[in-house]
Amino acid sequence: MKLAWRLRLRWLVFLLASIAIAQAAEEYSFDASAFEKKPFELNGYVQLKEDNFALNTAGAFYKLNYYHQPQLNDLNVTTGTMQLAGKLRQGIGTFDFRTNSDLQRDQLAHDHDNTVFEAAYSVRPNPGLTMEAGKRAMRWGKGYAWNPIGFVERPKNPDDPELAREGYGMIDADWIYSPGGALQTIAFTPVLLPVANNINSDFGASGYLNPAAKLYLLYRDTDIDFAWQGKGSRPARFGMDFSRNLLSNFEIHGEWARILQFTKPVTDATGQVTNLTVNATSYLAGLRYLTASDTTYIAEYYRNGTGYSAGEADQFYRLVDNAFATGNSTLVQKALSLQSSYGRPNPGQDYVYFRAQQKDALGIVYFQPAIFAIMNWQDRSYQVTPELLYTGINNTELRLRIFMLQGGASTDFGEKANSRRIEFYARYYF
Amino acid sequence: MSSRPHSHSWLRWLPLLALLVTLPAAAAIDGTQILQKVDRNLEPESYEAYRKLIDIQPDGSRKESVLYTLKKGRDKVVALFLAPPSDKGRVTLRLGDNMWLYIPEVGRPIRITSLQSVTGSVFNNADILRIDYSAEYNVEAVEEQKDGLLLSLKAKTGDVAYDRLKMWVDKKQLLPVTIECYAASGMLLKTLHFKDIKDFGGGIKRPATLETDSPLFKGYKSVMLWSGLKKRNLPDEIFTLNYLPRIQELRK
Repeated sequence: MKLAWRLRLRWLVFLLASIAIAQAAEEYSFDASAFEKKPFELNGYVQLKEDNFALNTAGAFYKLNYYHQPQLNDLNVTTGTMQLAGKLRQGIGTFDFRTNSDLQRDQLAHDHDNTVFEAAYSVRPNPGLTMEAGKRAMRWGKGYAWNPIGFVERPKNPDDPELAREGYGMIDADWIYSPGGALQTIAFTPVLLPVANNINSDFGASGYLNPAAKLYLLYRDTDIDFAWQGKGSRPARFGMDFSRNLLSNFEIHGEWARILQFTKPVTDATGQVTNLTVNATSYLAGLRYLTASDTTYIAEYYRNGTGYSAGEADQFYRLVDNAFATGNSTLVQKALSLQSSYGRPNPGQDYVYFRAQQKDALGIVYFQPAIFAIMNWQDRSYQVTPELLYTGINNTELRLRIFMLQGGASTDFGEKANSRRIEFYARYYF
Repeated sequence: MSSRPHSHSWLRWLPLLALLVTLPAAAAIDGTQILQKVDRNLEPESYEAYRKLIDIQPDGSRKESVLYTLKKGRDKVVALFLAPPSDKGRVTLRLGDNMWLYIPEVGRPIRITSLQSVTGSVFNNADILRIDYSAEYNVEAVEEQKDGLLLSLKAKTGDVAYDRLKMWVDKKQLLPVTIECYAASGMLLKTLHFKDIKDFGGGIKRPATLETDSPLFKGYKSVMLWSGLKKRNLPDEIFTLNYLPRIQELRK
C-alpha cells in the first residue's frame, strides 16, 4: 500500500515537474512569425464614459447653452464610443482609416454620431517620398496643450491633448532627406486643402484651394519647424517651432505664429459689434522635466493673439447678463451669434498650463495619478483637475478625473456652463 | 667623461619608462576592440529584429509587449509596438542622445528621456533603444578573470542612461554574460543577464534572452526575447520623425 502511494507520489512529482518545465519553456518562447505584416489590419477600442456636470446656472455660457431648454442643476451624460483604425496594403500603396462612433445619452436627449477621423490612400515610391490623398489629421507644432502653428488641423482640446482628432480632406506629400552632419534631417510637407460646400466647410470660406507647407529640420539635436499657410479660406499665416533637450530629462519647446489680417468680432455690453482686423501674433513657451523618482512636470505659457482680453470678454459677459436680465430676445440672439468666437475653448489671450504626473505611484505599477491646471492669466480664473489612471489590467485603461473650475463673475472659467465635472471612463483596446 | 655613467643610467630606464607610458594606452585600445567585437557579435551594424518584452510583477501577473526593431549604424534605432493593442502603432526613435515617442492618436512625436520606460518596464528607453555600447562608453579597465573578461565602462557624456557599466564577457564567444548598471553616485540601478545563446542564421549567434532585475523595483522582473534577427540594409530616411507613422510598412 505504502509502495503504491510512493509510486503515485513520484508520478505526481514527475508530472508537476514536467508541467513546470513546460510552463518555463512556454514562459519564454517567442516566435516572430505570428507578427508578420498582414494585408489587412484592424484595431481600436470601445469605451464607456460617465460624466457628471455640476452646472453653473449663473454662468453666461449656461444661459446661452440652455436657452429655451429645461433648467438643470446637474447633468449626467453617458457616452459609448467605438474607435476603429485599419490598414489595407497593396503594392506600394496603403489605405488607412480611423473612424469614431459615439452614442450619447443624458436627462434631456440622446444622440449618436459617426465620424471618419482619417481615411487616406498613400503611395511611397521610395523611403524618402510619400504622397497621399484623403482625410488626414495633421499635427503641427511642439506645444503639449496648444499649437499656434497648427494651421491645417482642428484645435487640440487642452483638457485631453492626446485625444485623436478629426482631420481635413487634403492632398499632401512628405519628402525626407538625411544629409548627415550637423543637419541630420530635412523634411518638407506640402499640403493642398480644398474648401467647398461639402468639403472641409468648417475650415473657412468656400471656393478656395488652400496651400500650406511645413519644413522640418533636425539641426544639432534641435527639432525646428517652419510652417506656412497661404491666404484663402482663412487669412495667411506663418510661424515656426522648436524643441530641444537641454538635459536628458529636461526638454524645452516653443512655437511662434503670425496671422495676417485676422478679423475678430468684438462686442460691447449693448451688443454693438465691431469687426477688428489686426495682424495677430501667438506664441507658446514650454518645458517638460522628469525627476529621478519618475515625476513628469509639463509647464506652458500660451499667448493667444486672436483671443479676447479680459476687458473685451467682460463686455460680452455684460451683454449676456443684460440680454437675460431684460429678456430682450434680440440681444440674446446677438449673444448667441457671438458664441462661436467668445465661447470657443480658451478664448482668452494669456494662459498658463501646468501638469504633474507620477508613474507607478504608491508602489502600484501602472498606476499614474496626475494633476493639471489651466489658468487665464489676465482674469486669474482657473481650472484644476486631479486625475487617476490605471492600466494594469491587460488591454484596459481606467481613468477618473475631477474638473474644478474657479473664477468670479465676468471671468473665463467663472462664466463656463459648469463649475465642476466628474469624468470616469473604462476603455478596452482590441 | 664624468657625465657618461650618468647618461647611461638614464638610457637604462628608458625602455621601462616607455613601457609605463604605453601600457595604459595599449590596455585601453585592447578593451575598446573587445567592446567593439562584443557590439558586432550581439547584432550586425544594421539589422531588423522582433522582440518580446515580458514584465513580471511580484504577484506573478505579466504584461507583454512585442516590438519590431530596426537599427542602422552605431546610433540610429527605431522600435514599433505590435502588441499589446493599447500600444499598437506606437513608435520610438533614437538618434544618438535624442529620443522621441510617436503615438498614432496624438500624431506628433514628443521627446522622451532615456531613463523613462515607454512600456512601464524595468527596461527603460535606453535598454529598449540600445545603441552600440562602444558608441556610448569608454573602456576604463579590462580585468582577466577565470571564465572571462570584466570590462569597466564609463559613459562618454552625462546624457547616457548609466554612468558606469561592469560588463562580464565570455572570453571565447566575446558575448556579454552579465552587465551591472550604475548611477553616477555609484548606486546599482539594474543587472542584465544574457542567456540562451541561439543561432539566428546569417552568422548571427547571440543570446536570445535578456533578463533584468533592479534593486529599485524589488520583486519585479523583465525579460526581453529576441526573434527574427537578421541583417538588413536600411536608408537613413526611415530614422526621421516624418517617417515614424510609416515604419510598420517596412515589415515584410
